[in-house]
This record gives sequence, C-alpha cells and structure tokens, in this order.
Amino acid sequence: MVTADKIVTIEGLSTGYRSGRDETIILEGLCSTAFRGELIAVIGKNGSGKSTLLRTIIGLQPVLRGKIYHEERDILEYSRLELARKVGFISTETVRATNMNVYDLVSLGRYPYTNWTGRIDSENHNRILEALENAGMTSFYSRFISELSDGERQRAMIARILAQDTGLLLMDEPTAFLDIGSKFEILHLLHNLAKTTGKTIIFSTHDLQMAISQADKIWLLKDKRLVEGAPEDLMIQGEFDHIFDSSPARYNSDQGTFTFIGEEQGSIYVEGKGILRHWTEKAVNRNGFSVSKEKTGRYIIVPSGNFKNWRLVEGQKAEEFSTVYELAGAIKKLGQFTI
Amino acid sequence: MRSESRISNDVYLADSGQQYLIFILLIVLAGMLFLLDLFLGSVSLNPGDVLNAMFSGGEGHMETILFKFRLPKAATAFLVGIGLSLSGLQMQTIFRNPLAGPDVLGITSGASLGVAFVILGFSVSISPETLAGFGNWILVVSSWAGAGVIMIIIMLIASRIKDIMTILILGIMLSSGISALVILMQYFSSESLLKAYVIWTMGSLGNLTSDQLMVLMVSVSVGIVLSLVSSKMLNALLLGENYAVSIGLNVKLARIVIFSCTSILAGSVTAFCGPIGFIGIAVPHMARIIFRTSDHKILIPGSILTGGSVMLLSDIIAQLPGSEKVLPLNAVTSLIGIPIVIWVILRNRKYSGVY
Repeated sequence: MVTADKIVTIEGLSTGYRSGRDETIILEGLCSTAFRGELIAVIGKNGSGKSTLLRTIIGLQPVLRGKIYHEERDILEYSRLELARKVGFISTETVRATNMNVYDLVSLGRYPYTNWTGRIDSENHNRILEALENAGMTSFYSRFISELSDGERQRAMIARILAQDTGLLLMDEPTAFLDIGSKFEILHLLHNLAKTTGKTIIFSTHDLQMAISQADKIWLLKDKRLVEGAPEDLMIQGEFDHIFDSSPARYNSDQGTFTFIGEEQGSIYVEGKGILRHWTEKAVNRNGFSVSKEKTGRYIIVPSGNFKNWRLVEGQKAEEFSTVYELAGAIKKLGQFTI
Repeated sequence: MRSESRISNDVYLADSGQQYLIFILLIVLAGMLFLLDLFLGSVSLNPGDVLNAMFSGGEGHMETILFKFRLPKAATAFLVGIGLSLSGLQMQTIFRNPLAGPDVLGITSGASLGVAFVILGFSVSISPETLAGFGNWILVVSSWAGAGVIMIIIMLIASRIKDIMTILILGIMLSSGISALVILMQYFSSESLLKAYVIWTMGSLGNLTSDQLMVLMVSVSVGIVLSLVSSKMLNALLLGENYAVSIGLNVKLARIVIFSCTSILAGSVTAFCGPIGFIGIAVPHMARIIFRTSDHKILIPGSILTGGSVMLLSDIIAQLPGSEKVLPLNAVTSLIGIPIVIWVILRNRKYSGVY
C-alpha cells in the first residue's frame, strides 16, 4: 500500500448543505485517502451523512471546508467533463426512462468521450461491450431497463459506470432493496472489480456484516466524524459496539453478529455440538434468554446419537421436543413463569 | 466471448437497419399527406390540375388556389407539426414527465399572453402597416418571451417538487391565471382588436401571409438545429439530473439551449396559428412507439416526420374534403391527441412520479 496511487484524498473536509448564508454541517474534519484497487464501505446510521459524503466527493454538493483531491489534483480545478472521466456515480435514484434498453443505458457512460453528436463509434462500442461483459450483462443488452429485476438493473447501472472508464466508482447503497442473493452477487462483483481491474470503489451500505466480509477498509461515520480502518481493526477497537447506541440492536464484536437487546429473562446452557448447537443457541437468544457458558440447573441437550429429540432439563424435570419450534414454545413459557 | 460480441454487433446493426426503413416509410407518408393536402379541400384538385398549375406559370384560377392557399397552408401545417412535436419531446425529457407538453404546462398560454400584449395592448400605438412588416417579428418575439417566462417558472417549481401530478396541476393553475389576465385585457380593448384576438385563439393554418410564413420557417429551422445540437444532452437528461451531471453534462448550458429551443418553437407556432392543443404531448409518444427507442438522435427526426404528418392529416380532416365547411383545427388535433394521452396515463399509472 505504501507505493500505491492515491485515487482520492480528503483533508479536513466538512460536508453539508448551503442555502444562502446558512450552512448545515453534517460531517466535519474528515481526513482519509483511498488507494487504487481498494474496496471501501461507508457505514453509519440513517442520517449520518453517507450520501452527503459521496455526493460531495463527486461534486454534486459543495465542499464547505477542507479539500478533496482526485488523483492529487483539487476537485475545484476540474471541469465537469474532466471529473466525469475520473469518478463514476450510482445514486439511490432509479432510472426509468421509457424504451431505454441496457445498451443505450451503458452507452451513456461513454458521454464524456463522445463528440457533440454523441455518436458511438467502434472504439466506444467495444468499450460498451467490455463493460457489459464485466458486469455480466452481455446477454441483457437489448432488454428494456423497465423490464429488468432490481438486481439486474443495478448490474446494468454498474455496467454504465464501468463504461465511463473512471478510476473511482462511488455507489450510494448499491445493495438496498435487493434480495439477499442479489446483495451477495453485487457485493461479490464489486469485490472482484476492485481486485481485477484495479478500480477504487467506495460504497455506502447498511449491511454491516457484508461490508465486513468484503471491504478492504471501512469509513465509519459517527458523531459528525469519520473513523477508518480495516474491518478487523474497528472490530478490535470496539468501534462497532456503539454505532447503534440508541437502537435496541447490539453488535457482538466477538461473533460479528447483531442481537436485539431485550429484557433478558435468565440464562440456559446448551449441551451438544456443531450446527445443531449453533442454531439451538440462536433460538434461545431469540426467545429472550442468554446462553450461559457453564452448565447450570437449567439446560438443553441437543439431539445426538440415538436421541432424535431436544431435551429441556430443569432440575429433575425433563421434556422432549422433536423440533426447535416446539422447544422454542417451551422456552417462551419458561420466561413467562420466571417473571 | 468473441462470438458473443460479434452477435450483438450484428443485432445492433439490424436494429438501426430497421429504423432506416421506418424513416423511409415516414418520409414517403409525409410526402403523400403533403400532396393530399394540396389536392383536397373545398375544391378538389386532381393531379393533372396540380401539375398544370405548377408548370404552366399562368395566373389562372387553379394557380391562385394552389400557390396562394393550398401550398402555404400545407407548408404551415408541416412546420407547425414539427414545432409543437419537438418542443413537446424536449419538455418531456427535461421534466422527466410523459405528460409534459407546451399546452399542458401553460407554455402556450404564456405565448398567448405575449400575443395578447401585441394584438390587444400595443396595437393602439402601432399602425397596421408596421404590424404587417416588422410587426411579425414583434409578435413572434413577444410570444417567445411569454413562453420562456412560463418555462422558467415551471422549471423552478419542478426543481422543488418531483411529483408529476402536482406539477401538472400547477401548470393548469398557471394557464388559468394567464387566461384571467388575457380576459382582463380583452375586457378593456376595442371590439375590432378583440375580434382579431378571438379568431386567433381558434387556431388556424390558413391565415398566414407569406412574410409570416417566412418568419415561421426561419424560427422552426432554428428550433430544429438547436434540437439536433441538444440531442446528446437530452439523452443524458434521461438519466435524471444528478446522473447527467455525474457523466459530465453542463446542466446550466443544457437548460439554456433546451429552454430557448422550446420557447422559440412553441412561441412562433402559437404566435401565428393560435394555441393548437395535444400535438406537442401526443406526437413524441407516437415516435417512441414507432421507433421503440429512447435515443434522441432518432426521436428528434422521428418526431419531425411524425409531427408534420399528423398535422397535415389534421388539416386534411379539418377541411372536410368535398364540402364547403371547415372544422376548427383545435377540435381535430384534440380528437387525435387525446386517445394517445389517455393511453400514456393508463400505461404509466404504476409509476406516477417518475418518467
């Protein structure tokens, strides 16, 4: 990373809105650098300024204070057209033009390179095909964008910024509104693009778990500031523990999962191994009990060997259940009686 | 991979081949309608008469009908069709609104106000002779100004409110407000000027002097050139303004070019032919249906040919061939345009608020 190229550098950046003389500052004093080929996830609560930050980096919103450098040149020195050759942008806005097919959409990515008539010559045509190929959309090129699924449309949008041939891609919640399969697909695509084409990708997301598994670096926005680091660094520093302070969700740094903070009604020990134990523990948590580390008077034995049933043991009393669903029902009742 | 990209190359070329064919058909259609418009009317001419009149160089009855009435009227119809369709197409793209059009958003009303100022207001101080010569340009320019002002007001509203229906309702309010102003002006103007204005509002293709036709031709030509110049910008604007900026569009420049173009087109047509409804909103959709594309490099020439043809057809119908009567042009264009507009509304129901 020491010799890698600086794609974008922000120095003491304040972002927000300006209307007349009034300034609303959303983020202040941000400093960071994104290097070639990095996949960076921007994370923060709703309203923490993720979109504002991305929009400021692409120049859709004014730099209130500080500096943004694209490839070590101040953003203010770029013309709109020059900047369009350095940064591509996908916002949360969906494009819904009638009769626009995927090829037309992607060809608009060549806008900064075509002459005033916007003619697509063979050079531009080849770039468009290449972009379609890289986004896995080649076979969709003649489909109208209004007929695509959300995931396909997002891939078409990605093909469009690939055709724009920029070193930096900014994406505002590219995985929002997608089903879980498409989410992984898109994130995997971004990860591969960063690795194989050397493009720097900065994307905002609410999917902490996916961001952690794929991103090289996290920009965590909280309290108007930016905290950066590898996902693991932030995990070790316990930075994620507090992002959702006000909400009933808690991030478990040791497991990398979220749990809801409910009123805990006691603890249950789970005896057993492997996947059965893992999911039984989940069921225990979901029903308002914590999983105790040591065996106490109340415990669950998961099926193993000859035993096909779950056994809930409390003192001398033991009950058997053939499914987790039934077991969960019994756990719920336990809670009610202990209150 | 190689074979795959070659396939898509071929298919892409096949698409444009098909579009060339449609263009040729449309040119033939427009030509035929133009000739029909020359032949048909209260006095039906046959092709022999027309050819005779064209090449005899005489000054007979036929020549008068052909050169003094039919030819200017057909030319006007074609220019009006082009002007209204192109301004409608550009407005639909820049507002990202399938129901935008010069008459719907009050642009035509703005132009009417400009015209009313000239006919009702200033005519008192301008003699009819001045109006006939230099006056044509005064009429057109004030019509442009009226259209331009409304265009800017609508754009300011549209930049704050994204909902199509709200903008349309505000457009209707704006039109009504302007009509109120015009009514006030009518109330205080003399009877003869009032009559001139009311006849103008009914819409007509046949009342243009050759000077006026010249002005209209120049204005529409300027409009066509500006539209062709702005086709790349219009394509970018299909993505919405933020994306357009992110791919390098200069939005301010685009707005200035496109707004001037729409105001010139809608303004000049309205100045000479009155407020003609529904062509501006319906024809771009016809072009989209015919060419199945969103690319303005195709939609602009497509709207020119479709708009010209539809207007010629409207004129032929309005003349009620073989009878002495003539229908009001506005009634005919509405009856042609409204079904298409209804179809667009029904089709777009599921995403109201987006284009």
